[in-house]
Amino acid sequence: MDVAMTSTTQTVCPNCGGQVSEADRFCEACGAELNPTAAAPASPALDTDTEPTVEISTDPAAEPVGPCRSCGGAIGAEGYCETCGTKASKPRDHFDEHPAPWVAGVCDRGIRHSRNEDALAIAADAEPGSRALLVVCDGVSSSLDSDVASLAAARAAREVLVAGHAQGIGTESSHSNAIVARLKAAADAANDAVLDNTSPDSPNPASCTFVAAVLEDGLLVAGAVGDSRAYWFPDEDEAVALTVDDSWAAELIATGIPRAEAESGPHAHAITRWLGKDAPDHTPRTTTLRPAGPGWILVCSDGLWNYCSEAAPLADLVRQTAAAHGGEPLATASALVDWANAQGGQDNITVALARL
Amino acid sequence: MAEFSATVYQNEFLPDGGTDVHAIVTVNCSGAGAAGQSGSGDAGEIIIVDTSGSMGADGVRAAGVAAQTALDQILDGVWFAVISGNDRAQLAFPPSPEPVMVKMDQFTRQAAKDAVARFYADGGTAMGTWLRLASRVFATVPSLTQKHAILLTDGENQHETPEVLTETIKAVTGQFQCDTRGVGVAWQVDEVRRIAQALLGTVDIIPAPDQLAAEFSKLIRNAMSRGVAQADLRVWAPQGAEVLFVRQVAPTVEDLTSRRTAINPLTGSYPTGSWGDESRDYHVAIRLAAKGIGQEQLAARVQLVLGADVVAQGLVKALWSADEALTTRISPEVAHYTGQTELADAIQEGLAAKAAGDTETATTKLGRAVQLAAQTGNEEATTRLRKVVDIDDQEAGTVRLKRTVEKADEMALDTASTKTTRVKK
Repeated sequence: MDVAMTSTTQTVCPNCGGQVSEADRFCEACGAELNPTAAAPASPALDTDTEPTVEISTDPAAEPVGPCRSCGGAIGAEGYCETCGTKASKPRDHFDEHPAPWVAGVCDRGIRHSRNEDALAIAADAEPGSRALLVVCDGVSSSLDSDVASLAAARAAREVLVAGHAQGIGTESSHSNAIVARLKAAADAANDAVLDNTSPDSPNPASCTFVAAVLEDGLLVAGAVGDSRAYWFPDEDEAVALTVDDSWAAELIATGIPRAEAESGPHAHAITRWLGKDAPDHTPRTTTLRPAGPGWILVCSDGLWNYCSEAAPLADLVRQTAAAHGGEPLATASALVDWANAQGGQDNITVALARL
Repeated sequence: MAEFSATVYQNEFLPDGGTDVHAIVTVNCSGAGAAGQSGSGDAGEIIIVDTSGSMGADGVRAAGVAAQTALDQILDGVWFAVISGNDRAQLAFPPSPEPVMVKMDQFTRQAAKDAVARFYADGGTAMGTWLRLASRVFATVPSLTQKHAILLTDGENQHETPEVLTETIKAVTGQFQCDTRGVGVAWQVDEVRRIAQALLGTVDIIPAPDQLAAEFSKLIRNAMSRGVAQADLRVWAPQGAEVLFVRQVAPTVEDLTSRRTAINPLTGSYPTGSWGDESRDYHVAIRLAAKGIGQEQLAARVQLVLGADVVAQGLVKALWSADEALTTRISPEVAHYTGQTELADAIQEGLAAKAAGDTETATTKLGRAVQLAAQTGNEEATTRLRKVVDIDDQEAGTVRLKRTVEKADEMALDTASTKTTRVKK
């Protein structure tokens, strides 16, 4: 058996040497799977497939896994093709949403993690540039059932954001205030959803990040808790980061340490705020702007920005990828996920885009 | 009701471009019950005793006593017969000119014991004729699902060509299982091992006739404790994959690769004989077409099958990764049994070279065996090797052939070469 499976106590990641706590399931620094806790009974066989305790389908209709994507063969009860052996991907491992032709998102397990704890929930009106709501939650991999909790959180937040649209009269400031209030309510709903999906006696309660971008009535408001991000990339102007990470690295950056250095440190991925039972505070920090002219709204998890953290190069990456895919949001989001996987896919990857 | 379980030990992570997947599958059986009493058919037992002239009066008397002890261990209700063999085979019990078996009870047991007391030494040795008669005797009872024999010999198969013996072994393979024993030092290990391996049995040396009774008794007790008449190992591998080998690696090394019969194009079946309460380890090696980093696939599905029922299953997986910390890890179980298999080969090749007078090869091979026995913690093998070679450096595998070696020690090393030790958990 490998070291990580047999040792019962450990304080450093056997892969990268980073600090981990005994209850962690994955190393936050490198993503390596750690010693499974009591929730995952020690099996003598190596099993990479750490199943969530509750299986959530992204789309009930899509649940029966179809023919093998590799050879067209039948998928057996264990989730492998009966002919070529290829593992059938679970719906939770890779899914997309595209509520309107100008808005789309892709959520993917990546390469290194055994399950997808990122979540995505988006909504949009058909009229291009009119109204879009993009929510991304990134389950904290050192806690239990975060894949279930993050999806429930993202969907709960979307529900609040969709329901509360007050159209019509009002000043820009009153519109903005209304959206900010709704973002806070959405974060509350998301937090409640996480709590609802946490077993009361969990040694390691589920937790996740939260980021939402709301485009309504010509205003773009983004709010975040944790280190998932929102950006505005105007075609003819400089890229704008709409969120500031609640992370150890961000605090270092605030003290003047260069971003590249801060984000490569041993605690780079330690977040200082999150949603969940043990969260100190989950009020999103918000930013409001009025987009002028065409551009891209990007909402993403660290599975993407890990490989391109500065706003300007990330904007270039999005613009170039979009150009290579005819400006089509779903194809562009999918290509960005592929790009992150090609960089190593160390974490789950979520990319949501709206084209204005 | 017998219960089976299967556990897979492997490192499923392959590097970029990696193709070969190795796994150890441990199959455990419990609640097997007793032979012929599981309700799935009857059990049959045949005792085959060498009564050639070389056995001599004392040898044959000892063999008779051993056969009597064995008869005491056969359970009531089990069909049985006794064959005495020299250059031809005779049915010693039941006394009949035609092949026949009877059920064990107090009367048949006593009659059989009386019959084996009348053994006398005469004639040559033709083991093929013994095996053919055993096969015909078993065939007279259609209700038998479990057929086991023990065969005792003391000499070379002189009155039959090796080709005829080979043909006979081929003809009776799959008809019954047979544990073989050689008494004294005048028999050929290779010859008798060939019979045992084909007939899913064991081989061993009994150095002196007075040890026969205890050994026979143990063999029959073992056979009687095997309540599962017959099981097959099934291995599925994906389309385009190649099954490099399927080996039993514990309690002994047996290469099963060539015993495959196709169930369908992707699935092969390998006979494993009868089972008692025991655990066996199998080493399965599969060559796949390499896939991209991050991809996962099933490399093999290993099942134990009783009739048409799958009673245990283990999944062997492959997952391509760019992480060297994962891909360079070696499964301790795979490493252990790879070493034990090489140990068996090194002992057999070393002894063959020694017999052929090739001292240099013998020294190299037996030295390697000493090294492997030490590395894999096979102390029994080390003890046996010490009787054949003087060890200068165990870790480096530096040895010298002993000037004088007891023939029995050399044969014991040979017959036990395939015995493995379990990996330390």
